[in-house]
Amino acid sequence: MDITKDDMKVVEIMSRLSIDRASRALSKILRTGAKISLSKVYTADLSETTAKMNDDLREMTGVMVSFKGNVSCKLLFMMPVTGSFILTDLFLRQPAGTTKEYNEFTESVTQELGNILASHISNALVSDFDAKLLPQPPQVHNDYAGVMFSNLVLEQGMTDDKLLLLETQFEICKTELECYLFLVPEMTSFGKLLDNIGVNV
Amino acid sequence: MRKILVVDDAKVIRMVIKQILTRHGFHVAGEAGNGREAFERYKELRPDAVTMDIIMPEVDGIQGLKEIMAFDKQAKVIMISAIDQHDALTDAIRHGAADYVVKPFEDDRMVTALKNIFGEAQS
Repeated sequence: MDITKDDMKVVEIMSRLSIDRASRALSKILRTGAKISLSKVYTADLSETTAKMNDDLREMTGVMVSFKGNVSCKLLFMMPVTGSFILTDLFLRQPAGTTKEYNEFTESVTQELGNILASHISNALVSDFDAKLLPQPPQVHNDYAGVMFSNLVLEQGMTDDKLLLLETQFEICKTELECYLFLVPEMTSFGKLLDNIGVNV
Repeated sequence: MRKILVVDDAKVIRMVIKQILTRHGFHVAGEAGNGREAFERYKELRPDAVTMDIIMPEVDGIQGLKEIMAFDKQAKVIMISAIDQHDALTDAIRHGAADYVVKPFEDDRMVTALKNIFGEAQS
């Protein structure tokens, strides 16, 4: 499926609205200024992207969420393990620095943040763009960044050579936190989303 | 003291809900991590109310709600979910949910929902 420049503009608007909604939910649950902003929307070659990401050997904590409905999509929210400690302290209203190691609370906070982000993104796509999609239970992983990213795109990209990727930046308490949110919609169902709002691909 | 069963697959959410409820004079009689466990715990504990998440592994909250309502038509189940979609809301209401609270929520919203179903809310 070819995506034109105009289609890409529509995707950007959809993504920005969905991510704004997720950002507000994140701020509310962390009770602190949290801002997620869309940094890049692009199509990428599946094999090239996977090969490039495979070289990323940083140890990360991540949560992957699949969506079910007429739009097939996957979400990966990942951060360095130390970033998950910061989010755990914020979520549990603990003084910064309380969490010093990965534990069941860190895992559960990561799981819930994945759930909140995925749910609010899907809420926006359903209410604003007439999609039908529900997130599935989040899966928490600890692995190298490259391995997690590969798992995300390999599952989602099986039927396409091209990937549509949305990358975001995080700011928590006015400090940039190294977190990554990737959304990978399946190309054909992405076409359905555009159809829903009368944009022909 | 009203007995509440808290159902959510995220341990931290169960913990947060338990803290809020305890602070407001409720007794958390038990916890469950999915719809199946919720039904089992419901039969065992016979709580006065249930707070139920929707998206959970194995058996989701809507199925858990259906099973509890089939077992006890008087059951009081409040859905607590980040899903804010018409279909999910109507599904929950159709199957007997007493209220629907969207995550993230203010403490008061959940407490008021519980007081409402017990007819204890202040006007």
